[in-house]
This record gives sequence, C-alpha cells and structure tokens, in this order.
Amino acid sequence: MSEAASAGGLPARPGVRPGTATKYVFVDSPDLTAADLALRAYEIAPAAQIKETCFGLMINGLEADVERLVKALRALDPDRIFVKDRGFPPGDERRCRANLGGARPGFYGHENEMRLIRYISSGLRALRDPKKADLLRAKPKKHDEPLSPDRLRELIEES
Amino acid sequence: MTVPVRIALLGCGAEYSGVMPEIYEAARQVEAEVFYPDVTLADIRSAGKGFGLDVHSADLKLIIARAEALVTGRAEADAVFIATCFRCAEAAIVRNELRRYIHEASCLPVVSYSFTERTTSGTLLTRMEALVTIARRRALLARERQEGLTMGLDSGSATTKAIIMKDNEVIGTGWRPTTQVQQSADEVIALALEESGVRRSEIEAVGVTGYGRFLLGNAIGADLIQEELTVNSKGAVYLADRQHGFATVIDIGGMDNKAITVQDGIPGVFTMGGICAGASGRFLEMTAKRLGIDITELGPLAMKGTAKNVPMNSYCIVFGTQSLVNALAAGNTPADVAAAACHSVAEQVYEQQLQEVDIREPVIMVGGTSLISGLVHAMGELLQTEIVVPRYSQYIGAVGSALLASGFIRKE
Amino acid sequence: MAKVYIYPGTSLILSDLVARFGHQPLGSALAVRERVQTPGLDSPPLQITPEDPKKGLRYAAVEVPSGVRGRMSLFGPQIEEAEAGIIISDADLSFGCMGCARTNELVQFLLHRRDIPLLELDYPCNDEEGVRFVAAIKEFLSSLPGGVST
Repeated sequence: MSEAASAGGLPARPGVRPGTATKYVFVDSPDLTAADLALRAYEIAPAAQIKETCFGLMINGLEADVERLVKALRALDPDRIFVKDRGFPPGDERRCRANLGGARPGFYGHENEMRLIRYISSGLRALRDPKKADLLRAKPKKHDEPLSPDRLRELIEES
Repeated sequence: MTVPVRIALLGCGAEYSGVMPEIYEAARQVEAEVFYPDVTLADIRSAGKGFGLDVHSADLKLIIARAEALVTGRAEADAVFIATCFRCAEAAIVRNELRRYIHEASCLPVVSYSFTERTTSGTLLTRMEALVTIARRRALLARERQEGLTMGLDSGSATTKAIIMKDNEVIGTGWRPTTQVQQSADEVIALALEESGVRRSEIEAVGVTGYGRFLLGNAIGADLIQEELTVNSKGAVYLADRQHGFATVIDIGGMDNKAITVQDGIPGVFTMGGICAGASGRFLEMTAKRLGIDITELGPLAMKGTAKNVPMNSYCIVFGTQSLVNALAAGNTPADVAAAACHSVAEQVYEQQLQEVDIREPVIMVGGTSLISGLVHAMGELLQTEIVVPRYSQYIGAVGSALLASGFIRKE
Repeated sequence: MAKVYIYPGTSLILSDLVARFGHQPLGSALAVRERVQTPGLDSPPLQITPEDPKKGLRYAAVEVPSGVRGRMSLFGPQIEEAEAGIIISDADLSFGCMGCARTNELVQFLLHRRDIPLLELDYPCNDEEGVRFVAAIKEFLSSLPGGVST
C-alpha cells in the first residue's frame, strides 16, 4: 500500500502537537508483512495512530506510548524490524505524495536503504552466532595509502 | 472553474531556503499548481548515465530523473519551473543543461531561476504567469494580425506607453515617464487618442502589460491583462515580421532585463531581471545626465567613441558611475565614455543573462533602450550578429497588448 | 546514553542501530519535527523560513547558497550537541535533507573538527559486509558512555 493511499482523507496537519512523536517501523521479513505488523500494532496500542506505508508502518502518538509500541513490535522479529524517527505525522499534507504529485525526496533514501537491509539483518543475527566471531571485527574504512618505494621494489623483484 | 495549469517543479534547495511558500503563492496567483514529477529510484540511479551529467548532489540527480520523466512522457506537465540555489555552481550547470534539454526535447515551456532566501512570490509571479499563458493560451499567442480598433498599454517601471492600432496599423502613440500608475496611463491614453483621432468609446478591446498591469487593467476594465514576457516577445516578432521560426528578443529595461528565445511567436526559454542597476537602462540615463546630454543623444555620441579606451564593467550602478567619473577626470572624451557605458551594459546582460537562453538569430532588441544606437551596436558586436530594431520598438509591450487584445473583440 | 550524530541524517539503518544499542540518534527527523511542532510557524513543506538560512550563517558565509545555510540551521546545532558520530562515507543516494553534496561536505568537515569519537564506514554490499558493519557499529556504540558492552 502506498503512502499516498494510506495518507488520503486525513484532516489538515494532525498530530503535530509537542510531546508527540512519529516513527517508521519497517519490516523486511518473509514471515511478517506490513499488514500483520499493523494488526499487531492495533492490538497492542489501540489509541495510537497507525498507517501502513510502502515498507511497513508509521505510528504516531505520545512519545512514551510510541516507545512502548515500538518495543513490542520489535520483539516480533528483532533482526528484521527497523525503526526510525519521522519529522512529520502520518498523512501530513506537506509531505503526502497525493499532494506533491510525486514521492518526497526522503522516500527514495528509504528505498535505497531497504535494498541493503537484509545485510543488516544478517549482521544482527551474527551477533548471536559464536561461529561468526571472527567476522565480527569490521575493518575501519580504508584510506588508500600511496605505494611505498620499498613495496614497489619488492613488487618489481617479484615479477 | 478552470483546470489549473500543472507546473512541474524541478527544484534543488528551495525547501531549505524558506522559499517554497513563495513558489506556491506565485503559482496560486496564476491558478497553477506545482507538483513533483514521479520517478523511481531506478530512474534516479540511471539518470546521470542517461543524461550524461554525473553530478554529486543527490537532489540534482533527482531533478535530472524528473526532467527525463517529463521529456519521455512518463510524467505529464503543462510547463516546467527549474529552481536552484543562487551561487551554486553544480546546480547552475544542471539548471542550464536541463533547461536546454527540456526545450529541445519537448514542447514544454520552461523557465529557470536561481533563488536566495530573499526571493519573493512577487519576483516569481511574472515568470509563473508567462508559463501559464504559454500553456493555456497558445491559441491567443498564435495571432499574427491585429484586427479592429484596439488599444495596448504598457505600464512599465520607468515609462508608460499607449498604442492604438486599427486594421494591423499603428495609428496613435503615447509615452510618458511613469509617476503614478493610473495618472501616467490617463496621460498616455489621451495622447494616443488625440494622435489617432478616435474616441475612447470606439476602442473595441484593450490589453495591458507591465508592472502596473493588475492595478491599471482592473481599473480600466481591460480585456487582457498579461505579463510582459509573452506580450513583448509576441510584439517583437510581429513588428520585426519574424513570426515564424526562431528569434531572440532582448529588452533592456529600466528595472529589469528580459531575454527570450521565441519559436513561432511563442516564448520557449526566457530569463528576466536578476542583475544590478549597472546593467540596466538606468545606468545609461545616469551616464547621459553626467555627460550633460539628453538620453536621445547618448547613442549617436557612443557611436563616435571607442569603448575599450575606458575601463568600465560593473554590475553596480554606483561603481559604474565611479568608473565614469574617473574616466572623465582622467581626460577621456565624452564619446569614449558614452561608448564604454553602452558596452558595459551590453556586456553585463551578455554575461549574466544571455547565457541562460539559446541565442537564435535574428536577435531583436526592443524597449526604450533599443533606440540607443550605441547600445545596439555594442550588443551586436558581442553577439557577432546584426541586431534587428523594428519600428515602434520602444512601444513593444503596448503593441503586443494591442495585437493580442484583438482576440477579445466581441463579434456581433 | 550518548547523543550520536548520524550521517546521513536521514538513514534508517543508522537511526535504528544507534537506538537499538541504547543511544540517541541525532538526525534530520528530529530537527524537522522540532520545526513542525513549533506553534505559529507556517512555512510548508518543512517549516523552514527565510530566517533559517540566516541562522545558517553561523556555519557558512553569506556567499554560500541559501540551501546549504538552511540545511545547516537544521544540522549545525545537532553537530554541536553530538557526543559521537557515525558516518557512512558512500551515502550517495541520500535525498532531501542530505541531498546537497556541498552541505554534506561541510557536515562531515564539522564532525571531523569536533573532538568526539567518530566511526566511518561504507554501506554493506553483501552478508559478510553486513556482519562486519553491524559489529563495528555495536562495538563503537558499546565504547561510548552508557553503552551496553554485551
């Protein structure tokens, strides 16, 4: 379900009052769909505003309620559910695709990261896997060093 | 209710400069709606490769993908507005290349603008209005002959002009410096009526353009109230008898300058204003005043001088005047100073604005400054072309208005 | 719990991992939310007004484009507030708040200039890189005040 479809028909600028928060809860799992996630969210927190989006849900409510709901949803599939803050409440007409004509720029950023999210899931699973211990040390970003004269000499001699 | 004209916004930085409300407001005033053409991430990832310009900023990649969607018909729009931050070199390259690409590869009217946080809806209004006119009123702009008895008014920032036309001929003119919009208009209308020998009540339709168009047009119940970009380009190709094919119209005005690439009488790409007073007709007025001559004498005087004898090339009217005073104090001749002033204005317009449009011959100069022969000569030298200055070029907006107003004559 | 500036500020992955491992991610959403929830502001879409690029003058001079300065009015205070930072160096497809390459260069420069712990890495492109990516972030976050070392 698209953000446009899920955002339609809402009153102008709801849920912007201080003390409230909106979070994305995205899911990338063969066992759990966004619709499943929405059902569970309604069961856990009937008072929260919940909207399905392309990659999962948007939930809006008082900060403490949202935190509690996020914690409960994460527990459903911790390695494959991902959470992020959102500046706007769900369906805000300033950010809604239905009003903009096309997706807001941030959508493409999500789409890009969701292509990679399965690797993050693998990483999270590996944290609990003792067999992956050797792999767990990530190398810091490499800055290419210029070839030293000594190494160059070695290479020439080797060839 | 009319269907709003849909203007595709290809923007980078506007949301972060606080100018989006101004863009929305300008669009609202001309009954247009601004939207983002929809694309996919795959479109964006391939955009740099397809278009051939591999930029670093992701939002610029995004607008390139959106432009491709418009050109290929994957997204539909009536017009395109390209807006990027002033002083951003990366965006300036994208802005210019996209403008050219859209113009050449589609029939969509396109305007580009570089904004600052100070940009207001008022600044954007004329541009938006022109886009809407081109999108909505192509039939009106297709008019090639003036019919009946019509009047055109141009309420400009420096001067107010009136033209009365009958059966494709100019029969009356009026010209006055603008003081108060309505009062100046009343004066030029009276002059034009007197010269033409017709009564106000006999005029069948009236068109109004220029800065004061809304105030004046509503006050006198004009049939057509139209921004000067479309009106002037229409008037220019009409007067120069170049209604078919390409042309470039340059209008160096008192407050802003316009450069318009026209195809079959319809503006395709245009820029307007944006630079300082050193590149305006005002600077030439000041030069004439400092030289102690009438503005009408400046052009012929400049033609006798050599511009390169005097260093003068400032955007700023204050610094430009300083160069002028220094040159006179150093013993340069008034003719050389006049030539340098003309060259300086032409050079600023060339460097700042003409790079934003595609120069297509013939180049037609219009507006009051087109009567300054030294300026026309300087522009011709810079563009390496023979500039066309049609008769009544100083009345361009009024002629264009009178011509287009013909379309509003009610047939009994 | 440490305040960790995430780059790109719009990153779902970094936002999630920082919060998951017990810290507070500082990113674009919080800066935008602050404006969206400010009563009386009406400057859609992002509630950024022409005053914001002027506030951005604290981080970039007047000849720097308004879009850079407007963005810096969002990120500058967060960079000042941050106690640590994580930078994804190859975040080329980050749009909107992170859609301007010049702003992004300035953000990274300002982060480097602050004397705070920084972790820099690239996006993972396969499972093995994903394992290393997550482990590196976890280890980095564990080393911060209030970090969980398990």
